[in-house]
This record gives sequence, structure tokens and C-alpha cells, in this order.
Amino acid sequence: MFLGIPVSPGIAIGMPLLYEPFVPGPWQKKVEKGRVEDELRRFEDGLAAAEKELEKICSGMKKNDPEKAKIFDAHKDMLCDAAIGEEIRQNISNSFSAQEAVYQVFGAYAKQVAQAPDPVIRERSADLLDVRIRLLRCMQGVPERDLSALEKPVILVAHDLLPSDTASLDPQKILAVLTEDGNTTSHSAIIARSYGIPAVLGIAGITGKVQPGNLVVVDATQGKILLDPDETLLQAYREKEARFNRRRELTRAWITAEPRMKDGERVHIELNIGRATPQELAQADSLDGVGLYRTEFLYMGRDTLPSEEEQTVAYSRVLQAFQGKPVTIRTLDVGGDKKLDCLELPAEENPFLGVRALRLCFEYPDLFMTQLRAMLRASIHGELWLMFPMVGGLSDLRRAKEFLQKAKEELDRSHIPYADNIKVGIMVEIPSIALMADKAARAADFASIGTNDLMQYTMAADRMNPKVGQYCRMYDPALFRLIRLAADAFRAEGKPVGVCGEMGGDPLASVVLLGLGIRRLSMGLSNAAQIKKNICAMDARRAAELAQSVCEMDTAEEAQVYLKRQLADFLPE
Amino acid sequence: MYEKTTKIINPTGLHARPASDFVKAAGKYKSEITVSNLESGVSCSAKSIIMILTLGLANGNRVKISAEGEDERKAVEGLVALIDSGIGE
Repeated sequence: MFLGIPVSPGIAIGMPLLYEPFVPGPWQKKVEKGRVEDELRRFEDGLAAAEKELEKICSGMKKNDPEKAKIFDAHKDMLCDAAIGEEIRQNISNSFSAQEAVYQVFGAYAKQVAQAPDPVIRERSADLLDVRIRLLRCMQGVPERDLSALEKPVILVAHDLLPSDTASLDPQKILAVLTEDGNTTSHSAIIARSYGIPAVLGIAGITGKVQPGNLVVVDATQGKILLDPDETLLQAYREKEARFNRRRELTRAWITAEPRMKDGERVHIELNIGRATPQELAQADSLDGVGLYRTEFLYMGRDTLPSEEEQTVAYSRVLQAFQGKPVTIRTLDVGGDKKLDCLELPAEENPFLGVRALRLCFEYPDLFMTQLRAMLRASIHGELWLMFPMVGGLSDLRRAKEFLQKAKEELDRSHIPYADNIKVGIMVEIPSIALMADKAARAADFASIGTNDLMQYTMAADRMNPKVGQYCRMYDPALFRLIRLAADAFRAEGKPVGVCGEMGGDPLASVVLLGLGIRRLSMGLSNAAQIKKNICAMDARRAAELAQSVCEMDTAEEAQVYLKRQLADFLPE
Repeated sequence: MYEKTTKIINPTGLHARPASDFVKAAGKYKSEITVSNLESGVSCSAKSIIMILTLGLANGNRVKISAEGEDERKAVEGLVALIDSGIGE
């Protein structure tokens, strides 16, 4: 089995095609003085031919694939870059051959770009080298290789793919893309995603191991590659492929739908994000915002705490992607089940009942202030909803707000701007704050109910302990009653109240939440299409009746059986 | 030689389309034009899209435009005005 970076999800099973890119033939470095004119013409002709190729690719792509056309537009800009062109002509005038001049000058620029501070710009170094290959090829009069003439669908295996290799690629004939180089920001990744082709990049040694006769299984949901698997495993992957495709069809059909109930009531569907993957950010237009940005991912898997600068960049990126829609950023929530390498925490007898989340931030004021300043600085890029986790009472909220005020004053003193419309809200995940929700609703701008923790604290059942799994009951009437208390209180104050826990993305529980008057549900991207579909099939009155019934039931089991029967059509296929 | 200093005010900085517009505008002048990112001290030709991108000029960064040639004054004034206008953002 091989492992790589999954950059475009999906499952594919098929035969491989080992693909080798164009390699320019050898050339003379220097030419005699008398041939300078010839070499200049050779360069200009190659330039014109390359520009024509790029224009043709672009115009063919603009209508169907504007995102990809942008890449080639950028290539045209680089090809025609005035400074690069001038330098090449200068070198040729100094008796370098046209090929040598192109090779050296583009190489030098690529090297410089590869050192840019911004990682996105650094990736453009690969574009410059791609443009160089195109130009060299055009100067040799070799036509572009055509990947569209494949007879049957294949799994493309390459060292690396240049955008120019993939330009003519027929997405119907490519089952998956596997490369040795590359990562999530590479061209191969962008293009594979835009076509919805499964892709795994950065697979060490794959080109040397795959043989033409191998049956290749690509699991690009996990980045796994299998060669010639046995019948049982193959069957399992065929089923996984079918499941994945069904879900993708559902997503295609529903992700962009407006989540409006049959009686016209609009529900906000927001995203729970951690690493803020390109797939998640790409759906910004289809969704109503970010209901939960888990900032702990910035702190994980590293030895040092993330700097204010680094955090500002990360938060700004998400705020910009969701331009103007609420982005709810939660302050650091570690402790309990989540540990950090960059912050040594004392062991506790009962970590879930110990110093975690907001409590931990109070213990480490420097860490807290750094994060708050970063959020404030990022706030100018969008609509920031700042959320505190593990608020147990009004005093927690007041104390947290004092920190925030101090962070604002520090920025004021340094003349660093931040938005003045930031909303400050709380997670409702400790029963005590749910019981005080009427008070909390006056002190906070919004609330988001964290149902996972609210469940474990209400049921007194550790959700990480499988032995008490039977006590972690999502459909328990007690939990719905507590949620109702919080939802009613915030609605009475006219303040937004949503759910960002598992329940929001659960096909059955989400209907009950709608019935309790909640109109903001936040969930992982994989659940959003199903929930939108369900909302469009529900009306507010029926949801309210279902919720009413569930709240009056005796046990979670009863509620679950009832919901499954009532909402059979609402479960995924 | 003529030069002037200003500040990037458009929200995305000198990236993507704004950078492309800026380079196109610079290309219309005959003078040799240099852009310097005063935050990092790095400078490059104003006529090179790829080098402008590499400068990484972000919102709020101070920038110096200098030109040498027959239309140097016009070039610097024109490009500074373009930056100050927010480059269409």
C-alpha cells in the first residue's frame, strides 16, 4: 500500500497510464555573433506560437471552466512579462542561444519567486517553469501532447503534472491522478478538484512501482493506493466507490440549494471548519457562513505556539473567503480530550471537568491575548462573530469580555485597526448556562449550542469512554428540553441562536431543532447537502409538532424510534 | 530620476487582478520604473507581473515608486494615483 496526500476526494479502480512529460532536446549554449538575429527571431516566433497556444486553451476554457482559465491567463501574463522578455533579448544579443537565454532567465525568476514570503506566490514558481517548457517546446516546433485521445479510462500516474499536460486532458477518460510531487496547492490538485477527479499527490516512489498490468485502487478520501488487491478488498472498495458517488450526486444536486422550508421560512446552513481546506472554502458561496471555526487546529502538531501574525493570516483567509457572511471563530478549546505539543498541561483526574477551553485561556493570559488580538486584526476582512467556549455562567462571560476589551485597547494604542461591528457570543455547552439563558441572552450577542459537550455534561457520561456510550443519548428528551430553554431565551431577546454540534448535521435531530425554533445549523461539509434537502422537504409547523412530541416522551429510545418512523424519507440512502 | 512614496489601500494588496492592472499601466510609460516594498526593502521592475507578485505588497504596506527616463514624472504620478485610487477595488 502507498500513502500520499489526498487533494481531491473520491474512489477509483482501474488500469494505470504512466505519463512522461515533454523533455526539451539539447541545445548549444552560445552562438556566433552573426547568428544573433536568427536566434532573436527564433525566440520571437516561439513566443508568438506559445501565446497562441495559451490563448486557444483560455478561450476554450473560459465558458466551462473560468477557474482553470485563470491559471492559463496567468501563464500568458508570465510569458509576456516585459521584464523577462527584455532580459532574454539582452542575453541573446550577448550571443547566448535563444534556448539557453529562455532557460536561464525563466529559471532565475522561478528561483526568486520560490523564495517569496507568501506560500501561494511561491507555488507560482512552478508556473514559470511550466511556461518555460512550453516556450522551449514551441521554439523546437513540437506540438503539445494530447491527453484527450485516450482509448479507455485510465488512472494517470506521473512524476508531476504541469498545467499544460492537463490542459487537453479529457476528464471522462481520467479515473484518478497520482503523482510523486505536489500537495494541496499544486496545479494538479486544483485541476483535479475542478474536474472532480480523485487525486492523491506526493506519493513517494509511485512511478517506479506501478506496472502497466496492475489493477490500481485509489482511495482519495484517505490518500491510500493499493496495487492488485484481493477479491474481498476489491469488493469493499467497489462498495465504497458506489457510496461515495451516491453522496456526491446528492451534494451536486443540493449543496447550492437555498435552505427554505416549504412554508417559506429560511434556515441558515453554516459550516464547521478546522483546517479550512480548499474544498470547504470553495463552498463559501453556497453556504451562509461559518458557524464554528475550531482554532485549535492552528495549535496542533507543532512545538511552538502560533504567533499573532500567523493567526491573523489564517483568520483573515477564512473571513475573506466568506466575504460578508458571519464567520464564527471560537477561541482556543483545548484540554479535556484535546492535547497540545506546544503547551504542556498538568494532568488532571477529570480533564473534561477541569481546566479546559476558556478556563485554560484564563490561566494562560498571554496565549489568550495573542489570539484575541489576532482575531480583532483579522476582523477588518469580513464579519467576525467571536465566540467563547465553555462559558459556565455570566461571570465567565464578563471576564472573557474584559480580556477582549484589553486586547482592543492594546491595538488602539498601536493604531492597529479592527472592525467595530464584531459580535461576541457564547457556546452553550454547560447546563448551568442553559439554565441561565435568559440572563446570558442579554449579555451576549449570540449563542451557539455545542450539543456534543452539552450532552455529556447533561448526562454525566464521558463521550470518550465507550463503556458509557449507552448514556450518551443524542435523542434524549432532557437534552431537547435544555436546548429549548436556551433557544427560547435568545429568541425572546431577538438574538441569533444556532447549533454547531453533531445534532445540527444529524438528519433526525436537526428536524427537532427546527421544531424548537432554531434557524441556524452549522455542520461539517459532508452533511450540508442532506440537511438542505431535508429542510426543503419540511415545514415549520410539522417540525414544531415533532419537537413538541419528542420533548414529552419518556426516553431517548422512544424518541429515536418515533423520529425514525416519522422521518424515514429524511435519512440518507 | 523621480520618486514618490505611498501606501497600499486596496484590501487584497497588489495581487491578482490589481497587480495585473498595475503592470499594464506601468507598461504604457517609456521610463524604467522600479517598485520598492518599504516594509521588506525589496524592489523590482514595475513592468514585471511576476516580480510584482513576489514583492507581496499587502494592504497597509508602504511602497516607493521611482522612475528614470523621459516620462519619469508622469509615470510616477500616474502609478501613485492608481495605487491611491485602490486599483478598482
